[in-house]
Amino acid sequence: MVDHTPHDSAWAHVTGEAVYVDDIAVAGVPLVGYVFSSPHAHARIRSFDVRDARSIPGVYAVLGSQDIPGENQLGPVVKDEVCLASGEVECVGQAIFLIAAETEDLCREAAKRIIIDFEPLPAVVDLPAAMAGGMLLGAPRKIERGNAAAELLRAPHTLQGELHTGAQEHWYLETQVALSVPGEGEELLVYSSTQHPSETQALVADVLGIHRNDVVVEVRRLGGGFGGKETQANHPACWSALLARATRRPVKIRLFRDDDMSMTGKRHPYLIRYEAGFDAEGRLLAVTLELHADGGMATDLSFAILERAMLHVDNAYFIPDISVVGCVWKTHLPSNTAFRGFGGPQGMAVMETIIDRVARALRLDAAEVRRRNFYASPDRVTTHYGQVVEGDRLQTMFARLVASSGYGERRSAVREFNTTQEFRRRGLALTPVKFGISFTTTFLNQAGALVLIYADGTVLVNHGGVEMGQGLHTKIRSIAAAELGLPLARVRVNATNTSKIPNTSATAASSGADLNGMAVKRAIDTLKERIGPAMAQLFNERYEGELTRAEDLRWVRGAIIDSEHPERMMPFVQAMQAMHLRQIPLSAAGFFSTPGIGWDKVSGKGRPFLYYAFGMAVTEVEVDLLTGGHTILRTDILHDVGDSLHEGIDRGQIEGGFIQGAGWCTTEEILRDENGRLLTHAPDTYKIPTAGDIPPDFRVTFLDGVPNPLAVRNSKAVGEPPFMLALSVWLAIKDAICADAGGEPHFPIPATREVILNAIEELRQLTAEHARA
Amino acid sequence: MQSTVLFVLDGQLVRLGFSPGGYPHVTTTLLQYLRSLPGHRGVKEGCAEGDCGACTVVLAEPDGDGGLRYRAVDSCLFFLPMIHGKQVITVENLRDPSGNLHGVQQAMVDEFGSQCGFCTPGVVMSLFALHKTLSAPKREQVVDAIAGNLCRCTGYRSIIDAGLGAVGSGAGDQFHADAGRIHDLLLSIPRDGLMIETGGRRYSRPSTIEEALDARRREPDAVVLCGATDTALRVTKNHEEIPSIIDLSGIAALRAQRRTDAAFFFGAAVTIQEVMDTAEKGIPSLAGMLAVFGSRQIRNIATIGGNVGTASPIGDTLPVLVALGAEIELTGSHGVRRLPVEEMLTGYRRTACRSDELITGVSIPRIPSDITVRAYKVSRRADLDISTVSAAFRVRVDGDGTVDGAILAFGGMAEKVRRARSTEEFLQGRPWTRETVDKAMAGLSDEFRPLCDVRGSASFRAAVARNLLLKFWAETAGANGQRAVASAEGVHG
Repeated sequence: MVDHTPHDSAWAHVTGEAVYVDDIAVAGVPLVGYVFSSPHAHARIRSFDVRDARSIPGVYAVLGSQDIPGENQLGPVVKDEVCLASGEVECVGQAIFLIAAETEDLCREAAKRIIIDFEPLPAVVDLPAAMAGGMLLGAPRKIERGNAAAELLRAPHTLQGELHTGAQEHWYLETQVALSVPGEGEELLVYSSTQHPSETQALVADVLGIHRNDVVVEVRRLGGGFGGKETQANHPACWSALLARATRRPVKIRLFRDDDMSMTGKRHPYLIRYEAGFDAEGRLLAVTLELHADGGMATDLSFAILERAMLHVDNAYFIPDISVVGCVWKTHLPSNTAFRGFGGPQGMAVMETIIDRVARALRLDAAEVRRRNFYASPDRVTTHYGQVVEGDRLQTMFARLVASSGYGERRSAVREFNTTQEFRRRGLALTPVKFGISFTTTFLNQAGALVLIYADGTVLVNHGGVEMGQGLHTKIRSIAAAELGLPLARVRVNATNTSKIPNTSATAASSGADLNGMAVKRAIDTLKERIGPAMAQLFNERYEGELTRAEDLRWVRGAIIDSEHPERMMPFVQAMQAMHLRQIPLSAAGFFSTPGIGWDKVSGKGRPFLYYAFGMAVTEVEVDLLTGGHTILRTDILHDVGDSLHEGIDRGQIEGGFIQGAGWCTTEEILRDENGRLLTHAPDTYKIPTAGDIPPDFRVTFLDGVPNPLAVRNSKAVGEPPFMLALSVWLAIKDAICADAGGEPHFPIPATREVILNAIEELRQLTAEHARA
Repeated sequence: MQSTVLFVLDGQLVRLGFSPGGYPHVTTTLLQYLRSLPGHRGVKEGCAEGDCGACTVVLAEPDGDGGLRYRAVDSCLFFLPMIHGKQVITVENLRDPSGNLHGVQQAMVDEFGSQCGFCTPGVVMSLFALHKTLSAPKREQVVDAIAGNLCRCTGYRSIIDAGLGAVGSGAGDQFHADAGRIHDLLLSIPRDGLMIETGGRRYSRPSTIEEALDARRREPDAVVLCGATDTALRVTKNHEEIPSIIDLSGIAALRAQRRTDAAFFFGAAVTIQEVMDTAEKGIPSLAGMLAVFGSRQIRNIATIGGNVGTASPIGDTLPVLVALGAEIELTGSHGVRRLPVEEMLTGYRRTACRSDELITGVSIPRIPSDITVRAYKVSRRADLDISTVSAAFRVRVDGDGTVDGAILAFGGMAEKVRRARSTEEFLQGRPWTRETVDKAMAGLSDEFRPLCDVRGSASFRAAVARNLLLKFWAETAGANGQRAVASAEGVHG
């Protein structure tokens, strides 16, 4: 099934008609909700007085933790994150009071008139300090195979080091926003820009002290999510719900960009210590890794992210003996959270840095060292957690990409360029991605759908997934249309709504289409099972001769046809009218849970993933040795999406993920002051890639002819894996600056201009020392 | 003086009255105003500081030649009264009367140029402005047109292809068909001065320099602005209330450009984009620097006078104006005086402009062919970023290969844009060789005590400043007697 139809919302996007939460019109003008937040990273609240703030005409509510009717708790996994601070604040930007007023100006005025007395407490605002202070957020995790420590001692070559990877701001274009509209009695309708409507619903009910059947959360679309709205959209939703409940009026909270950046969590910074043993051919023999994550002030999803990091430290490589230890540390910073890749980028970055160093130590081409270490049948196929990596997909992709990108010739050309230039260097890197698809918290791998067929032959599909730009609704619509044999025009995908599908999982882990697509298919299968016998009976009443059997009915080209007697055909519209008259129910729920997966988090063994998505990239860069600036010259990507559900959508995911990853690897740097205040709180200082930063020569191809029988319509998930292909940018820069230098520079993520220039200087000094010695 | 702002929206003349106690205010932004209307919620706020472009709209004005000129601007940086006399076009206006998508919209659909869609209205408007100006833009021109539009989803390739694919879409659209009527409608709007007061805040837009000087005399503390791309941030980001604004953008005389054999002259209200267009044909070092000045949406509003007036320590035009020996024209009630740009810059965001004076123009002398000038900007990101360090170098090398006159001007290295005078003196009379440059680099470190901030550490700034001098030498040595051309590459650093 190759689908070239536009994005489901493309028309609405380009005309400006697409409705986001801030655009929703409700009866009555909503009050403006505003958050008064902590200026301190860590402090005790000695006393406060909000009477003056409440007295301002036009200010309808000023709420503190004491005004929460239900539970003051937003922790999604561990209950360690309050909705409003009481007694103590644990990060700059932590919400303390909520204000509802007629205008934003009035909200700000009220905020100024809140009197609050803080007693500042010692604050821990970076990872090294948290580690030094022993501030673990939970028990360390461990995954091992063999005896890495012993094998390291026996290995002919070893290397060791430390890698820092930085935080990353999601920078969804639409900031966090929610609009709560009170209804009759306890009823509350919440329009939220959330990736997890069911959790938002549950937490709103909990903080209000009402039940989930009182709360409806509806999500038409998100102006970007990337994981940043998986748990942290719950906060504005709960805040607006509290204010709506207190004022009995609709209340909207939309975070101003700087507030959004200051208050919400980021991709976890990691400090990773590694030691690797390898042979003279560059094959890894043993690796030990310590992963240290900066969790921020609360647990949030930190441990699930850590687990995914630990499950992806192998990336595409078989490592006979390996030991991986992971810790999450508490800091007085906003709780770090999900972000595309979910620990995968940090885990893969360390392994790619190890391979890169092995290659440099042995003076081998890094791509060749990668190939030698790939998972390969028959005996190098099992991961450190015991799951088998299917086939020789990596070798196949490597051979194709090396050929299609002209890797060999370009390696020579780069070398030639570098010998002729004094102040410029080019670099080339090939990096693979093997990314496990499934939530590692196994029960989350479930989804629901509700498919409604109306008697006019149109279809409305409800499912639990959220459209955040990734094209989920486009894919779901295609799946539903294909399963029903209908043109797309007859099928519409509804806004995601918790009163249609209950108890859903977040749209996350790249699983949206896999899980919800299967649930939709199941719902349609149920409809077909009901309609089939009734249609067979209808045909048998009309036609003489051999009976039509339900199993012979085909749903194709907008009709239902008996494949054994093709003249027995009825257009879908007439068929549905007939079914309605015959009292056949034309709506059905579908449910899907991923079979055959599961793993033991304690032993670190099992099959956490249904399958792997694979990708590979070759990137060439040029670096200005005088300014540390770099330009991506060309990127070639070969990606395995199984049978693509939609090539236009999938290509967009690959390109967009790669560029977002390139930002993490290069220009996106989160900086805070010594008091834990975010310094890069606006786009004037936090720089995501812009159009001029992308490779002018950008070639993306799908690995064709590799259907994936394990997912809906033989497809593969595509949301996250391409992000990590951007490690090729990072290592191409390193390749460029290390071109003729002996030694290993300090080369963290992000490799900003300053990092690059420092590395160039460090290498220059190392080379000079080398020459003296 | 009148107090009603007139502009064209949805093809109709709109008379917008401001009342002292009501909404909107004089510092309400065009973005806020548009979003308060039922039919223009496609205009999005992404950052309220001109750094994302989600709020991009297009302004059309008479081009002086009977037609209309279309410019993409960030509506978040535009105070509402500044739309007086202009047509505002938003994404909602692009479909033709029968509802068909505009060519740039269709191309965005066809190329999968939207994912989450939140940046899309802004992107569409940038592409629309591009295609109203160029019928078949090249890739660099498309990239330049959308460099001010952040997209977090697509990775831009599809958007660039949409921009390339919409060939000819601007020529025959409904705006083309309606241009004559709009042109006349806009010309019917009086160009007299405006004076508006709301909520204790005053906005005046004089129509002549004399009126402006009068206003300045009456209100010496008023903020004088022209494009407001800097001042607007005080309102949108810091929520300051600015008691009084004098907006010079309505003074036709300040929008003049003159070119003589000796110099280029730009009126203070000439936009950075207009300066850049002129500079491309005669002042390459300046053109190269302006190509990485903000984004097109900002360059279309920001003015040369405004950039000089803010006197930012990293103001992108300033180092190159210093190197080019530019003079600033100041007009006061006592007459006109001209100051070299260096003398104009007296400190951190301070200038020599007196409270009874206005910056009325910038004069840039033509550079003799035996002098080389190049400008460099080093920033975290190439486009739409503030310099960490900027530099402009000017050197004349004698026939015998020695330096005869060097100017090394740096931004981002001190409280104001400053020359490295000692190093300049050191270079004087020395051979323009690597050895000399190496020594000069060592000396440069002693001349500055740069700050450490989010854009870079002091040591990084110092290293970059040194290296830029070497880069300049490497790119121009041997170019004695030739006029070097600042390539875009050189400017990116």
